[in-house]
Amino acid sequence: MAGLCGLALAGCATAPASPEALAANDPYEQTNRDTLKLNGKIDRYFVIPTVGLYFLLVPEGGRRGVHNFLGNLSLPTIFVNDMLQGEFSRAGKSMWRLVINTTVGIAGFWDPASKIGIPGHGEDFGQTLAVWGVKEGPYLVLPFFGPSNPRDATGFLVDTAMDPTNQIPIKQHLWWSAGREYFTLLDLRGQTYQTVQGIQRSSVDYYSSLRNFYRQFRNEQIRNGRIQTQDLPDF
Amino acid sequence: MRPLTIMAPTRRTLLQSATLFAVPLFLAAPAAAAANVAESFVDDNIHKGLDILRDKRLTTIQRRDQFETLLLGLVDVRRIALFTLGQYRRTAPPEDVDAFVNAFKNYAAAAYQSYFAKYTNQTLKVSGSTQRSDTDFIVQTLLVDPSSNQQPAEVDFRVRTDTGKPVLVDVAYQGIWLSLEQRDQFVAFLGQNNGNVRTLIAHLSELAVNLAKPT
Repeated sequence: MAGLCGLALAGCATAPASPEALAANDPYEQTNRDTLKLNGKIDRYFVIPTVGLYFLLVPEGGRRGVHNFLGNLSLPTIFVNDMLQGEFSRAGKSMWRLVINTTVGIAGFWDPASKIGIPGHGEDFGQTLAVWGVKEGPYLVLPFFGPSNPRDATGFLVDTAMDPTNQIPIKQHLWWSAGREYFTLLDLRGQTYQTVQGIQRSSVDYYSSLRNFYRQFRNEQIRNGRIQTQDLPDF
Repeated sequence: MRPLTIMAPTRRTLLQSATLFAVPLFLAAPAAAAANVAESFVDDNIHKGLDILRDKRLTTIQRRDQFETLLLGLVDVRRIALFTLGQYRRTAPPEDVDAFVNAFKNYAAAAYQSYFAKYTNQTLKVSGSTQRSDTDFIVQTLLVDPSSNQQPAEVDFRVRTDTGKPVLVDVAYQGIWLSLEQRDQFVAFLGQNNGNVRTLIAHLSELAVNLAKPT
């Protein structure tokens, strides 16, 4: 996948990368900027109006239920990645969350596990690859999906393949999968709307701002929030 | 074979042991005190800042002015500004660098106010600190939203004490450091504009004006 992404983008790249782009590990910067523009249009003309409708039609309690349900569906994948990273304590928490929220929380629409001191956490195969020592590769902006890199794009495919809900027979699976992705998009964009708007409003260069946010955010996820202050630059 | 015996401690060995154990304590004491200074600095001033932003008796202009005065007294703007210029700091003419620092000050005041204004209904609690060097501290805080059942957000403040008094040089929300993000933006912008710092100054000034407008 990483190689395919790299080849595809190399084919698309029309201008040689600038020294700043190479220094920022972003050799496909121009293509990425064009893709970000395309994603911006999709966001503006399709996603945001749909999110507006979602907020109008579904009350806050309902949206929280959808958020919890989607989070619960991700727990088997999170559990496997916890295990693959040797994070057994976190794997135990994922397992307990799955059991408690699927049963007491009625298919995951409620989150009683958090209330009894088992909060949720994220984990994915992109992070697992990072823990195993795989480098992120060049920065990519994927159509529809946004900021990524070959490691995270590969991780996304592996997570999708290992997700048990994707084992549903093919006819229903397409509807199921499309619906799930659609509601994930609504949920995510609804939650990040104000933050993204704030970044757009205060950015000198929105593209590089987003690139930096993505990288710092992913590094924070890979470290599981553990502070590594020695990596910070000196002022 | 000679049996193992526990020797009775003499006054001298007791004194030596006491000194040995005491040395790290004396060495650690200034470090702990310095960390406390950094923590108190953050605790006191962030609450002052949030109080200004929460104060409904103030007009928009009064609120902006008071927040800016407080902020500029706490933050080492010049140090942050020079950091965010990246490699262009070395090649830019000194007068452009000074003009950039001034433009950055106005931009930072507007941007920080815009960020913090979103959290006026939340409480910030210092949870500890990490020392990077004798004069470099990361103060960890938790931002709690009383109206939400979500986990508290982690907000870290980087405090330097090398100028004799504590100053704020960076802030991180959930592990994302603001000055790193600003440096990437500014360097990318300068890369696209032939390294012309004056273009960046003009753009920053425009942004500061827009950020100061109510949304």
